[in-house]
Amino acid sequence: MRRSPWTLIFLLAAALLMLAVAQGCSSRRKSAPPAEVTPPPSTSENTNPDTEEPPPPATRPSDDESQANLRDAYFDYDDASLREDAKAALEGNARYMEGRSSARVVIEGHCDERGSVEYNLALGEKRARAAKEYLTTYGITSSRITTISYGKERPFDPGHSEEAWAKNRRAHFVAK
Amino acid sequence: MLLALLVPLRARTQTDVRIGIQASGTVKSPLLLASFRSSGGASGVAREVHDVARRDFDFSGVFAVADVEPLDSKLEPNPSAAGAVRVEGIVEGEGDGYQFTGEVFDLATAESMFKRTYPFRRAEAREIAHRFVDDVLEALTGERGICETKVAFIRSTGKVKEIWVMDYDGMNPYQLTHDRSLALSPTWAPWGTELAFTTYKRGNPDLYLFDLKRGASYPFSTRPGPNFAPAYSPDGKWVACALYRDGNSEIYLISRDAQTAKRLTRNSRIDSGPSFNPTGSQIVFSSDRSGSPQIYVMDAEGVSQRLLTLEGKYNDSPRWSPKGDRIAYAARHDGIFDVVVMDANGQRPFQVTSGAGHNENPQWSADGRKIYFSSTRQGRRQIFVMNADGSDVVQLTRGDECFNPAAGPRPRRPGVSRSG
Repeated sequence: MRRSPWTLIFLLAAALLMLAVAQGCSSRRKSAPPAEVTPPPSTSENTNPDTEEPPPPATRPSDDESQANLRDAYFDYDDASLREDAKAALEGNARYMEGRSSARVVIEGHCDERGSVEYNLALGEKRARAAKEYLTTYGITSSRITTISYGKERPFDPGHSEEAWAKNRRAHFVAK
Repeated sequence: MLLALLVPLRARTQTDVRIGIQASGTVKSPLLLASFRSSGGASGVAREVHDVARRDFDFSGVFAVADVEPLDSKLEPNPSAAGAVRVEGIVEGEGDGYQFTGEVFDLATAESMFKRTYPFRRAEAREIAHRFVDDVLEALTGERGICETKVAFIRSTGKVKEIWVMDYDGMNPYQLTHDRSLALSPTWAPWGTELAFTTYKRGNPDLYLFDLKRGASYPFSTRPGPNFAPAYSPDGKWVACALYRDGNSEIYLISRDAQTAKRLTRNSRIDSGPSFNPTGSQIVFSSDRSGSPQIYVMDAEGVSQRLLTLEGKYNDSPRWSPKGDRIAYAARHDGIFDVVVMDANGQRPFQVTSGAGHNENPQWSADGRKIYFSSTRQGRRQIFVMNADGSDVVQLTRGDECFNPAAGPRPRRPGVSRSG
């Protein structure tokens, strides 16, 4: 596609802004392990106007785009088995990844605050792996998926209610 | 079911301090503590040593402390005061060189039961008071105190969780790790200058060892997936932990030099939270192989695995007592977590916390008299300590969320006599 000069200027400005944000994020992110939040905006190829190269194969989505299309799977208390709603979310993720062969994800396993640090670390890993395994049944190669458990240490909702707990028991997808 | 039958001890011990024969737990021995005398310019130091010793005696759970004036004449026998003791002390010296002499009298016979002199420098006043009280406890009860021990724990600030260390009574907390990551589950090596813990500082939840002498940590087990729940064997040669290398969480023994790993559990469920008995021959742990977490025991080779907890749907975080006779754990009942202590064979489970928030992470003090634990009874999770029967609950941390207490061993002091 032929780009107009104004588009180029706009893209350049946008890229600079994103670079600044990304740097701010990366210096902040040194203070904490990669985790709960949307990853910092990337400066991936298709937002870089300095190169005239065409965007890489269409199967390589931007992280933001991937993030927006990946859904989390939720779990019952003290349980790593996949509920129907979790399976539906995971199926959607599998379909999305299927069409984008270079998309990779980290699946973070999370738990609610109840129970020991150690047991929840294991339970979170179990949830992440259950989600991963389900994706592989849709033909997603396991090398595209890594898992990490944050146990109960990175709640999405800091509350102490059943509502907060339900949000925190999840396999969280992070585009990589 | 049984938990409902467990009688909370709190009601029994909260109010009255009974005067009687020296024993552990609910019955406390009267201790008359004289203000310490001084010579030279040592009155300020004498007051400091006294105040620390007073807190220590009180904290021990063994004594009911009463303040008295120093003796001005010879102590007369008082047969009606059987079981009660009197502590006198004097601090001499000035500048930076001092010595403290402490003496304990049996009130009934007026005989000296213990006397020792401790040279010290100004900055060591607190330390010397701790050592004196531990010596007195050892001389009078046969079981040394824990005044000289430290407690490691996790403090959570924002998204960052670091290891902190404080004195046994919550004083002098300081931050040990500065990784600005997630540190979890610290546990002490038996020699007291090393901690094993889980850290995310390289991304994966890995096990590291922190050398307190060098102030640095080293990778210990960095296998993909969680490396967690460490516990040293009593001889310090092994670290029991849980690894996720077999598709699920299994308990392993890894040699302290990290060269050898032995798998102890084999099933498809979560096995975690190992803790050795004091001889190192057995390991208690939690497993949800029956559906929900329960407490199991096995020998240190991984054989003879059997269920210990027969009641309660959810029992986790077992810790074997230093004497080997009891096991503390966290039990969930009606959605609430409480600390339960049972005999090492699983009999007589006894709920020692009740009625106040979630109480978890039980950890025995080195003398087995105390249990450290985390509690939400004041809102945010904080670290508390209580006598092993649930009495005398004291809050040790405040402010930022704190959890995962780990009570350290007594310091090893080669060449220093341990007897009175």
